[in-house]
Amino acid sequence: MKKLDHKAIVIGIGNIGRQDDGIAWLFLDYLKEQNINIDLEYRYQLQIEDAELISNYAKVFFIDATKETTEHGFYLKPCLPSITYNFSSHAVEPETILRLCNKLYNRNPETSILGIQGYHWDLKIGLSKKGTINFNKAKKYFNDKVLINYL
Amino acid sequence: MKKIVIDPVTRVEGHGKVTIHLDENNNVKESFFHIVEFRGFERFIQGHPYWEAPVLVQRLCGICPVSHHLAAAKAIDQIVGIEPKDLSLPAQKIRKLLHFGQIFQSHALHFFYLASPDLLFGVDADPAKRNVAEVAIAHPELAKKGILMRKFGQEIIKTIAGKRIHGISAVPGGVHKKITLKERDYFLNSKEIPSVDAMINWSVEIIDFLKGYHNINKKWLDEFAEYPSGHLGLVNKDNGFLELYDGNLRALDANGKVTLNDIPSDDYIQYFNEGVEKWSYLKFPYLKDLGREKGWNRVGPLARINICNGIETPLAEQERLIFKLSTHGKINNKTMYSHWARLIEMLYCAEMMKKLLNDEDILSNDLVRKGERRSEGIGIIEAPRGTLIHHYEVDDRDRITRCNLIVSTTHNNEPMNQAVKWVANNVISGEPKITEGMLNQVEVAIRAYDPCLSCATHALGQMPLNIRLEDCEGNLIDEKIRS
Repeated sequence: MKKLDHKAIVIGIGNIGRQDDGIAWLFLDYLKEQNINIDLEYRYQLQIEDAELISNYAKVFFIDATKETTEHGFYLKPCLPSITYNFSSHAVEPETILRLCNKLYNRNPETSILGIQGYHWDLKIGLSKKGTINFNKAKKYFNDKVLINYL
Repeated sequence: MKKIVIDPVTRVEGHGKVTIHLDENNNVKESFFHIVEFRGFERFIQGHPYWEAPVLVQRLCGICPVSHHLAAAKAIDQIVGIEPKDLSLPAQKIRKLLHFGQIFQSHALHFFYLASPDLLFGVDADPAKRNVAEVAIAHPELAKKGILMRKFGQEIIKTIAGKRIHGISAVPGGVHKKITLKERDYFLNSKEIPSVDAMINWSVEIIDFLKGYHNINKKWLDEFAEYPSGHLGLVNKDNGFLELYDGNLRALDANGKVTLNDIPSDDYIQYFNEGVEKWSYLKFPYLKDLGREKGWNRVGPLARINICNGIETPLAEQERLIFKLSTHGKINNKTMYSHWARLIEMLYCAEMMKKLLNDEDILSNDLVRKGERRSEGIGIIEAPRGTLIHHYEVDDRDRITRCNLIVSTTHNNEPMNQAVKWVANNVISGEPKITEGMLNQVEVAIRAYDPCLSCATHALGQMPLNIRLEDCEGNLIDEKIRS
């Protein structure tokens, strides 16, 4: 395992019992098997206190399933602090978490979002066929571009 | 006639909708708080082995799964022949610590994340400002404490149940894991997180903050959504003190007269009925003796502080006495005082967590008891939002054949409808123009109960919330939908 000069965390958001909504958790399961020096956190939804959590890290990756149409079945993009706030107590956006981290803790971790396109969201365990294809593509990309620095 | 619809009601857990009917002069004719999710858990748990109940039913909720886990566990204990007093002391104390951690984090979530925007910015403030993110920015020190208080409760849950949401601690007749010395010290030594002493100090600070707020806003807090009601909850079997894990059921009416006299929780079915209305999936529990019209009760922090004889921890008891002075020792029927009562309970939970964390029993391996198998079990606890009842029957093959759940928010169904009526009649009725701030006051009144609508109807799926304004023919005039 590579010894890092910074702390990194991957936060997977989703629900394994809701078909493709479980993509992020499966991604964390995969990362766990790689024996990497990154902390992993499973979340149903993000909550305000995750601002405090990420303030302890230099690099943060949020992973979530997305309904958006993506060019390659997934995207990896920088997360920028948002000025908007979703009303729900059940879910807070990564951008809001980052903004709160900036404001409350005066920290600005380098933050990215890996969105993996999903298609089916019913009460069922297991990814859809197309979801699985996107999951594998995202894994390969993340391996080649990101994980290589941590293995 | 016109109709106002608020859909969804925001900053509550789950999906609810408010409808207010107005006549041609904008006078309120009637109002309803509807719960529009479907009910399923009581049915689909049937056929499962009884030992799965504490694990399955906690999926009702992502906010208070521990409450469902423990209420079900108490019921399942009875099925394996174990009464609450027969559990080993370590198991009792570990369960209680889990329960106090849960209530502490849930109350912190409600006060800091859901209620504080109304209190800090005002009910008429710009809706874009009335959220926890803006509270965090405007009051960073308060927000940081709120975050760490919620985190503390969640860490207690994670330590005992393995994870913060939907973990497992209870097994039939006990718990499956003790607490290690290292785990215990994590909460006491302030090295990685603020200690339980900080939680006590911050709880006192936030109560002081709210008392100051009450001094400034006394008239509004005294009058807003004040209406007579019954108050129901558990009390300690020996001294009638505040009790959250196991006790007798007590109810008082709006004037303090006893309407349910410390009955054993196993007898609840003799005293309660549930009414139904065609416009809500949520039932309306009431005391049989008093009937549907007069037998309904508030549950939750305000009711618990009203009905108890005292609190066993010194700081919370001191705060209870100050709280009681605000109504000269009489029953408090002022809905907005629920927030103050909730914070007193937070302090109580913090003090109890300290007591239990310093108790050597939680480090013991004496965790499980066995008794004589029965076919029925009833578990009643005080969840963050009020009295929670789980009742199961099982067959000879260990399968659940019947399940009845009466959750806290179900008890609060009629009280919340009364709150909506109060706002409709006192804030909206007769006004020429209905403003967003007026509609938010409907939500403020509901929010004081911290309803968990997903728990209350045992829902599946998405949970948006909705307010509608209709004319006398039922035509929609205005509507707010948030999903």
